[in-house]
Amino acid sequence: MKLKRSLKQKKINMRLSIEKVSKNFTAQHGKVLALDEISIQIKEGEFICFVGPSGCGKTTLLNMVAGLETPTKGVVRQSGEEIKIPSSDRVVIFQEAALFPWLNVIQNVEFGLVRRMNVRKRREISRTFLNLVHLGRFENAYVHQLSGGMKSRVAIARALALNPSILLMDEPFAALDAQTRDILHEEIEEIWFQTKQTIVFVTHNVREAVRLGDRVFVFTARPGRIKKEFQIDLPRPRDTNSESVVLYAKLIQQELREEIEKFLKEEVDRDWSLKKANLLRPAGIDLGSGI
Amino acid sequence: MAKALIWGFKDRTFLIGMSVSIQRITIGYLISLVLGIGLGFLVGRFKILDETIGSLISGLQVLPSICWLPLAILWFGLNEQAIQFVIIMGAFLSIAIATESGIRNIPPIYLRAARTMGIKGIDLYTRVVFPAALPSIATGMKLGWSFAWRSLMAGELLFVSIGLGHLLQTGRELNDMPQVIAVMVVIVLIGLIFDQLLFSQLEKRLRSRWGMTT
Repeated sequence: MKLKRSLKQKKINMRLSIEKVSKNFTAQHGKVLALDEISIQIKEGEFICFVGPSGCGKTTLLNMVAGLETPTKGVVRQSGEEIKIPSSDRVVIFQEAALFPWLNVIQNVEFGLVRRMNVRKRREISRTFLNLVHLGRFENAYVHQLSGGMKSRVAIARALALNPSILLMDEPFAALDAQTRDILHEEIEEIWFQTKQTIVFVTHNVREAVRLGDRVFVFTARPGRIKKEFQIDLPRPRDTNSESVVLYAKLIQQELREEIEKFLKEEVDRDWSLKKANLLRPAGIDLGSGI
Repeated sequence: MAKALIWGFKDRTFLIGMSVSIQRITIGYLISLVLGIGLGFLVGRFKILDETIGSLISGLQVLPSICWLPLAILWFGLNEQAIQFVIIMGAFLSIAIATESGIRNIPPIYLRAARTMGIKGIDLYTRVVFPAALPSIATGMKLGWSFAWRSLMAGELLFVSIGLGHLLQTGRELNDMPQVIAVMVVIVLIGLIFDQLLFSQLEKRLRSRWGMTT
């Protein structure tokens, strides 16, 4: 009896659980299995990263957590309850930022709050979050006037304004330059420290995953399965260019590499391969490093 | 011709003709807007409607609207309603087509972004679908207005009424070439003024705000 209770309690504490989730897509030449029996348990306040080759279904999995898509088999649960429809408690931040061009910055940030509270209150909340992402000066600017990094910031503020318990990020920084991305990594880490939200972060950038994640899941090429899970036990705040991050990234990259090769063989000719020995390079540039 | 133009304005026949024509087109055009945007929304939203009446809409759009006049006269008789009917048939289909294509071409990411923030039902339409389709609707409005103007002129030419088209007709009957040309100039000017000052500006503003200027 006691055991049962403690089990139940454990389940409640487990904020997000993905249970044997599969997803089929109907394509022109029949059904395609995109995800194959994926199970992941995510604790409250954890920072989780998914990495994998393109088309492995990591975005699909994220969308299922969001409730934008439904699994063919299996369930996704939040605090024990099955996720069926989207909710403002699980907000997605997309790669394209997906801001609404007909609204200015502050109206974008308060978009999800409109029916819930009066103008004054939602303005106040929106300003708080806009200041948090350091765009307080731009509340009256329009979307087409913003740079890529600023758009990402607005998208983050817009999601945070809803105070979701889960933040889902689908390659949010993929289109940004490396310097902007570095800074946004620091900021998202800082925000995560403050809000203690659960974050699921999809990326194909291994270093980004190691830089940010508590745990990193490597997906296989289609059909997507969990190939390996890495616990990143590095102190925070981390530095993308620190040795330990690079070391972890290298380990993960090795796992990923196999999958990317598999994926490439499907996409380009089957006899494709890349062997280091086949690469011709002048010995002079090596400066003897090959010895 | 210039004399005829000045005379026309002096003895107020042009002003009366203009005001009658503009009044007609305003009513007809407003009805077309409501019908066109409504129909475009429905066809863009429900696939079954698109599959059934979608091709009918584009088919009917090919028909010059003045061809509706005989039918309109049979239905309504020789009156205002008949001419309104012709205007509406000329304008509302092109508005509907533009609205529908606007809705169909909304980037799906907008809808997903809104849904993930918990927006659903009517809100999704009024706060995302409609504004996202607005630039395309504006293009339809502009197109619809010029169709409406042409339909009105054709309609007024063909049946007795006090519009600008009717002034053209009387000019012909009186063998008064300067008057005919003067009226034509007025028709072109009114068309241009509305098109350039109102609809093109509206379209341009919307497109630049929506970040669609290339």
